[in-house]
Amino acid sequence: MRISFEWLKDFVDIRVPAEKIADGLTMAGLEVEGMEDVNGDTIFEVNVTPNRPDCLSILGIAREAAAVFGTPLKTPDTFIDEVIPDPAFKVEISDPELCGRYAGRLIEGVTVGDSPDWLKRRLEKCGIRSLNNNIVDITNYVLIELGHPLHAFDADKLSGNTIRVARAGAGRSIITLDGFERELPDEALLIWDQKSPAAIAGIMGGEESGVTTATHNIFLESACFSPVSIRRTSKKLGLRTESSYRFERGSDIEFLEVALNRAALLVKQICGGAIHEIVDVYPEKYVPKAVEISYNKVKSLLGVELRKDQVLGTLERIGIRSEDRGDTFLVYPQAFRRDICEYMDVLEEIARIYGYSNIPVRTPKTVLSGNIFNRENINVNKTKGALRKAGFTEVINYSFMNPSDLDLLSIPDNDIRRKALSIRNPLRQEDSMMRTSLAPSLINNFIHNFSRGIRDIRMFEISKIFIDKGEQLPYEGLRLGGIFYQERIPAIWKDDIQGFFIVKGALQALFEELKVSEYSFVPSEEVFLHMGKSADILLNFGKAGFIGELGPHVVETLDLKIHKPEIIIFEMDINILLSFVPGRLSYCQIPRYPSIERDIAVILDEKITSAEALNVIKNFGSEFIEKVELFDYYQGKNIPRNMKSLAFRIIYRSKERTLTDSEVESVHKRLVEYVLDKTGGGLRGQV
Amino acid sequence: MDELLSLKKAFLEEIGLVSSLAELQQIRTKYSGKKGLVTARLKDLSSISPDKRPQYGKILNQIKNFIEDELKNKELALKDKEKEERLQTERIDISLPGKFTPYGREHPINQVLSEIKNIFISMGFDMEDGPEVELDYYNFEALNIPKDHPARDMQDTFYISDDIVLRTHTSPVQIRVMEKRKPPLKIIAPGKVYRCDADVSHTAMFHQVEGLMVDTDVSFSDLKGVLELFIHSLFGKDTPVRFRPSYFPFTEPSAEVDIGCIFCSGKGCRVCKTTGWIEILGAGLVNPRVFEMVGYNTDEYSGFAFGMGVERITMLKYSIDDIRLFYDNDLRFLRQF
Repeated sequence: MRISFEWLKDFVDIRVPAEKIADGLTMAGLEVEGMEDVNGDTIFEVNVTPNRPDCLSILGIAREAAAVFGTPLKTPDTFIDEVIPDPAFKVEISDPELCGRYAGRLIEGVTVGDSPDWLKRRLEKCGIRSLNNNIVDITNYVLIELGHPLHAFDADKLSGNTIRVARAGAGRSIITLDGFERELPDEALLIWDQKSPAAIAGIMGGEESGVTTATHNIFLESACFSPVSIRRTSKKLGLRTESSYRFERGSDIEFLEVALNRAALLVKQICGGAIHEIVDVYPEKYVPKAVEISYNKVKSLLGVELRKDQVLGTLERIGIRSEDRGDTFLVYPQAFRRDICEYMDVLEEIARIYGYSNIPVRTPKTVLSGNIFNRENINVNKTKGALRKAGFTEVINYSFMNPSDLDLLSIPDNDIRRKALSIRNPLRQEDSMMRTSLAPSLINNFIHNFSRGIRDIRMFEISKIFIDKGEQLPYEGLRLGGIFYQERIPAIWKDDIQGFFIVKGALQALFEELKVSEYSFVPSEEVFLHMGKSADILLNFGKAGFIGELGPHVVETLDLKIHKPEIIIFEMDINILLSFVPGRLSYCQIPRYPSIERDIAVILDEKITSAEALNVIKNFGSEFIEKVELFDYYQGKNIPRNMKSLAFRIIYRSKERTLTDSEVESVHKRLVEYVLDKTGGGLRGQV
Repeated sequence: MDELLSLKKAFLEEIGLVSSLAELQQIRTKYSGKKGLVTARLKDLSSISPDKRPQYGKILNQIKNFIEDELKNKELALKDKEKEERLQTERIDISLPGKFTPYGREHPINQVLSEIKNIFISMGFDMEDGPEVELDYYNFEALNIPKDHPARDMQDTFYISDDIVLRTHTSPVQIRVMEKRKPPLKIIAPGKVYRCDADVSHTAMFHQVEGLMVDTDVSFSDLKGVLELFIHSLFGKDTPVRFRPSYFPFTEPSAEVDIGCIFCSGKGCRVCKTTGWIEILGAGLVNPRVFEMVGYNTDEYSGFAFGMGVERITMLKYSIDDIRLFYDNDLRFLRQF
């Protein structure tokens, strides 16, 4: 809220510089976010928290400043010495739970026109536009000055000189002052004349009964409406005004009469006219609810020992009446401090006026905790470390996705990734779903970087995905995803590896790091991947994710202007991955006896995968085979069409003794025959 | 005898011409190999007349030893020479680049988040986690923010349904933990939160760290103690810290915690809006109403809670002026950290 220093001085005799005021208010909980010089006056931009509607005015801020600086508060004189004794208006409150008090005054014979300059200037400094309508300007002036919203009706447009405060009921609408016709919610509280709605209570008046330059007689309203009712109606209508903003935070039921009189006097002074007697319906008078708190509680919760007179004196400074009761004291909050209703509210008042900076600093006595060591966190960190070592940079994406992302990836209708949550009020349609896969965001990351000329892209993300399982809350699961692209650019050190194997290598390094060994790669069923260059990642034969080149049909839609880009993408369920991390490791003895190595190079049908060939060797079943490694793969010159050459190194070793050459030779010979038999291949150099 | 001397002389001439190990090997074979000149003479010693034999044998032995020593010396010299030549000729351009794959970087938000976590873990706080798609009850009601409360305006909320929201803060984790565990409690809950707001200083998703300590005899002084220690660990122990009153429905008294502006050392600049202070976190004593919601005895227990935005702290640490950079995921940005 914008507060004019010059205006503030009407209420508090303060002689300190503006910076000091700003600092004092800030340290009392009214944060001055900015200061601006306007024609020699200082405007404070004060951030008023929702619990302090009493501070949404010049007077409210003055009250706080007076407390902070220990100067007296000057309240405005609103005694009306000349009144026409007849109120001339009847008021009836049909819904007393929504309107605690309704007061008003008829003022006859006003001249509506331009406001005087001093009034316009003050309004404008505080951010309110003067409307060439002195009556409306005056209600706004009082709103800013005293914080209570008022409304002025053209009294001649209110039929029957009657005001009725009642709910809208079904099917009502009204044209409001801003010219819009608004359908009213049934529960909306309205101000009615004898026949029809004249205003939406506390939010905006109706156009019909509005004050114009043709108006001669006005009815000034000053009322107190239920915050919840105002808030609901304002939200439903999407209509927020200075008035609704204050009413929904709570208005001062006692003080509204002062505001009414202040406005009436200003009308008389500026627009002329004769003020009628007040009409005031106030069914249930405000009685403060006492709050009790012990001095001991103040001490133990603030961590500082305060004397009784310090405690009660502090409260007195902010105008809160209290009463000592020995070990405890009672507090009677005024109607403008309805936020004080429990002992913690009182404690807060004491603390903020005493000064947070005066409360000592203490290091708490501590409790030890057994939950700090979190295995999942450690393994997630290991995972991130392994990927970073493979050159992948971590990204963080919004948890949202575009509904069309799933179509782009041709995700089948029965796929679990189709079970996405929709956000009711997204910022943009593109961000209207909670993502069920990291892939779409990663593809966007690739496009962003690629289109900015970056040609070595390795990125990964570990984030949650959200699957609607039909229960109240969705399933939230942690996923690891990544994307890779490297342009084959001339490089000094030749390293012509297919992207797929670079990424697969990174994942294998990750599995090694986590000591997960039960993994395998089998042809993938993911439709958005290149059929011939993709794999599902299995952990103990269950699918944990996929890796592969983005299929040409998907790449085509990305509009990248490069020919056949090789973009590798992967995604894994990290919870599944981590479930295979061994809880405990045990040491294996280092071999005591030497090993003997033999190689076998076979030429076989290209349809037989290296993994299948490897399995053949593993299935041979010699106790002496310790390890089999593929060390060469070749297709091309000197190898027949549709064939390939695979070379394996076999390491033979016995746990009990040193093997002899001839012993190994005979096993190896049988192995070679076995492999050729099972694969239908031939030895390299003999085919 | 003369014949032996001329043998030695011939050897000396030949070895003088040797310039490689291969040539040396030829000479070694010629003189001291199995069929070499010296070896042959040693075998033929019996053909020398017995009177001359001792003298002849002695000289022959001397020559044999001499030749072997010479061969050995020459070999050593040649090897030295060869090494020297290798050192002279085998040159690489050490200024050529090394071959490596640069390590990937951790996202700056997670770097700072790790730093924050580690400080609190070192103070004995547990880490807790909770759902990002949350019940309205945990996100608002249990935190003393009923429906129709104006404080809901402080947090523009994404709704999935009437009762389900994207959590607007990590505070619901407090409630979930307190429902499960009894005091004493010292926890932090880091994670993603969501608000429908987007500009240079707001993104629809950001990261928060929430903290909670509950025990008997926990006071505002303790809150100040823990948070000062935290801020001094994160920003340096000379960083000025101030606590000023604020409002959160789930804490009371509530505080905003400011640090002296790290850009202008408190003199006033654009970043701190000339105030000399930068808001860094929100905190307060746990509102007894919140304790009542989870069934804690408010006469026995008190506690404090605090929360901070990780993006904001990261922006301060690295002088980043646009929060959206964190989510553009531009590698030219990410690779700087």
